[in-house]
Amino acid sequence: MEHVLIKTHQLTKRYGSVSVVKGLNMEVKSGEIFGFLGPNGAGKTTTIKMLTGLLDPSEGEAYICGYDISRQPTQAKAMMAYVPDQPKLYGKLSAREFLHLVAALYRVPKNVMKERGEQLLAMFGLQNRGDELLEGYSHGMRQKVVLASALIHQPKVILLDEPTVGLDPASARLLKDVLQEMARQGVAVFVSTHILEIAERMCHRVAILKEGQLIAQGSPEELRQKAGHGGESLEDIFLELTGGNENAELIRSLEEG
Amino acid sequence: MKLLLPPPLTDPPTEQTFRQDFMLLVKNQLRVSWNKMRHRPVGALIGMVVVLFGLIAIVGSLGYFAYGALQTMPPQTVQGFLSLLFMVGLGGQIFFGITAAFAALYMSDDLELLFMAPVPIKVVFAVKSLSVIGSNLLTALLFAFLPGVFYGLLFQAGASYYFLVLLVGLGLWAIGTAVAELINLLVMRIVPPHRSKEAIGFIGAIAGILIAILFQIPNMLINREEEFNLGAWLSGQEQFLSVMDFFPWGWGAQALVAGISGSFLEGLGWSILILFMGVFLFMLAFNLVERGFRRGFISLSQGEGGRRRKKPATIVSGETDRQKKNTYLVFKEEAVGSASPWLGMWAVAKKDLLAMKRDTREWFGYMVPLIIMLFFVGQHLFLNVQSSNNTLIAVLIMYTIMFSGNMALQSFGREGESDWLLNSVPLAGWPVVWGKLVAAILPTLVLMEALLVGTALAIGVSLTLIAALAFGAVLLSLGSSAIGLFYSINNCRYNPDTPQQRISPGASLIMYIVNLFFILFLALGLTYLFLPDELVVILREIPPVSFEGGFLSGIIYGLYLLSRPLLWADSLRILLGIIVTAGVWSIMFFGFMAATVRQSRKGFRVEIVTGKKTRKTAK
Repeated sequence: MEHVLIKTHQLTKRYGSVSVVKGLNMEVKSGEIFGFLGPNGAGKTTTIKMLTGLLDPSEGEAYICGYDISRQPTQAKAMMAYVPDQPKLYGKLSAREFLHLVAALYRVPKNVMKERGEQLLAMFGLQNRGDELLEGYSHGMRQKVVLASALIHQPKVILLDEPTVGLDPASARLLKDVLQEMARQGVAVFVSTHILEIAERMCHRVAILKEGQLIAQGSPEELRQKAGHGGESLEDIFLELTGGNENAELIRSLEEG
Repeated sequence: MKLLLPPPLTDPPTEQTFRQDFMLLVKNQLRVSWNKMRHRPVGALIGMVVVLFGLIAIVGSLGYFAYGALQTMPPQTVQGFLSLLFMVGLGGQIFFGITAAFAALYMSDDLELLFMAPVPIKVVFAVKSLSVIGSNLLTALLFAFLPGVFYGLLFQAGASYYFLVLLVGLGLWAIGTAVAELINLLVMRIVPPHRSKEAIGFIGAIAGILIAILFQIPNMLINREEEFNLGAWLSGQEQFLSVMDFFPWGWGAQALVAGISGSFLEGLGWSILILFMGVFLFMLAFNLVERGFRRGFISLSQGEGGRRRKKPATIVSGETDRQKKNTYLVFKEEAVGSASPWLGMWAVAKKDLLAMKRDTREWFGYMVPLIIMLFFVGQHLFLNVQSSNNTLIAVLIMYTIMFSGNMALQSFGREGESDWLLNSVPLAGWPVVWGKLVAAILPTLVLMEALLVGTALAIGVSLTLIAALAFGAVLLSLGSSAIGLFYSINNCRYNPDTPQQRISPGASLIMYIVNLFFILFLALGLTYLFLPDELVVILREIPPVSFEGGFLSGIIYGLYLLSRPLLWADSLRILLGIIVTAGVWSIMFFGFMAATVRQSRKGFRVEIVTGKKTRKTAK
């Protein structure tokens, strides 16, 4: 049975009089990889930060596994993991120490924590450097540590903001495999990305955000059909949709569809 | 590859108690601190030890002075003295606490991680508050606990008295930290988020200046030993001291004086009152700040709060395409030949000047030496310290040189991670270097000239001399800045954690030494130009010196030769003076500028420093 694990209702964020995210309604189901696309400044990171509880919405609600992130933050956070685009870690902790800290924060039993920590370090090729301080790691290696820490507590929902930035091709492939395996196990995967090829190949459904508004939602195939460009890539559709005001009609047709 | 991942959670794990979560975060904080200490370079550890010894020496000298003063004071005066100390301590705690609270509560790198973790915000706030309290420990020890302990030792108080000291110390500690947190909350409310880092930096700089002045106190006391009697001064301030009794620092003093006088219960009453006040304020701060804790972090993360974005002009449907075409055409039409490099030079200078204007942290570089100089001037004008006007002018000129050099030292490090830009534009060489020189020298000269001329006027120097001083300061600043720029381009660094640290300490030291030689050679030329009569009298009495081999003899013989032109005929001596002064200045200024330009053409690198790790950007 497919459960809705991420749900937003009229989610809105305003800074002063300017609305950055406008009345967002979306649902992500268990086992689904959901791509969140949009040009720079569209409001993707703001939306993710509201979903993770790092920003308070100005209006509307966000639910994670049925828990309201504003009212039941501890329960909601216990069920999810977040991979930010710029991983800020404790520079003075080693990767191993960091994984143990995150596991403890998410209340993973000690014996499980150690075993799983080693498995994850090995999976991301960090086992030999696990005792080095994180301040000495490159961006890509830090990203791997954050990914490992996101997996250590078996989240039911995982939100990733530009997860492939800084990863080498092998690690990007590993990430794709991990996310697909998680989705197979019933996890809701929410990926914000600029790389449309990833979205096209990996995501079951995508949503396109423009100026804070959701202008299209569906599987890549559905978007192609709605737009009436059967043979075009997701990139072409994305560029057409986010290109300028002359596409207003096309957007309207997609919304109506 | 076959992946074996554990199945996802079905329900959230059982919640932990406040204590369990708190202990987990405290343990983590301790581990981070321990790792930081363990991986610190040996040099830094030695530096810490040296600073610690310096601090102990200052505390020791102040303690010795205070201890001696206490012995001669009647109880009423002692109470006033303790009140003063407690008040200074509270002031210190508040100043340092504000910056510590800002760093711990809003600027920690781990906040995003901790807010994402399934741990109540109250626990995160409690741990962060603990680090704010910890940052005030030293100030509380020096100005709340130790005075009480010394006072007890002096009058051989019983064990019960030290219980009062503990209560008073804890109360003052809690009050200082609580007020710091509350002021910090106020700053966060008043100042827009995008300027709050600067506001807190400003408060931090004021605290730094206070410390700099505090370090001058032993010197002042030594200078005024015969004429300044703390006991007598305090005895004359009865009205002021009696007002202090209405404030917590006055209560603390009353508690300790009562404790020494044998009225333990009265002392206990005052101690409990101050402790109660401390706990009340701390709880108030805890609740108020905790509510705004996450909001403060959020508003800082948003950054732009307080500024309104400009709404884009409404575009009539169908116009976009036409506009794009027009823009393209306009670009084509405006393709023109390259402009003068002077324009590029001014662009570099303007960029730096704007950076200095818009980031108040840049101003601290000017504020600290200026305030220390003002301190010297004030000491000279109001405290009748034995020093001549000439000495004061000499000190100011010395500062002008060091200050100019120091400001130029920051120039290339200011590029930070954007050093690629100046390396990639077709401006390398003199446009970049002269642009940097203009930006370094303009604000410095305005400030230094104002101070130099102002001081000269205040102490009654003739107008001709003032004009000469002002002109001399311009030349000195230029020469010194050229030296600073050379060391800056070769040794610039950038630390994202402390963006104001832009030069390696070794290069900074060498620059100061080179500047000293610059002053020394210039002084030689100026001595030939303006003959000092006192020196000539001495020189006439010196018997002829000859070189007898060896280093010392060489030095003496060299000095002897250099002094000979002072006995020449005026026309020859002045001509030599002009040649030496102009020569030294020209060699230093143009020589260092040429070397900097050469390096700029080769490309400069800003060394990125993060903790002990350094990364060099590509040339």
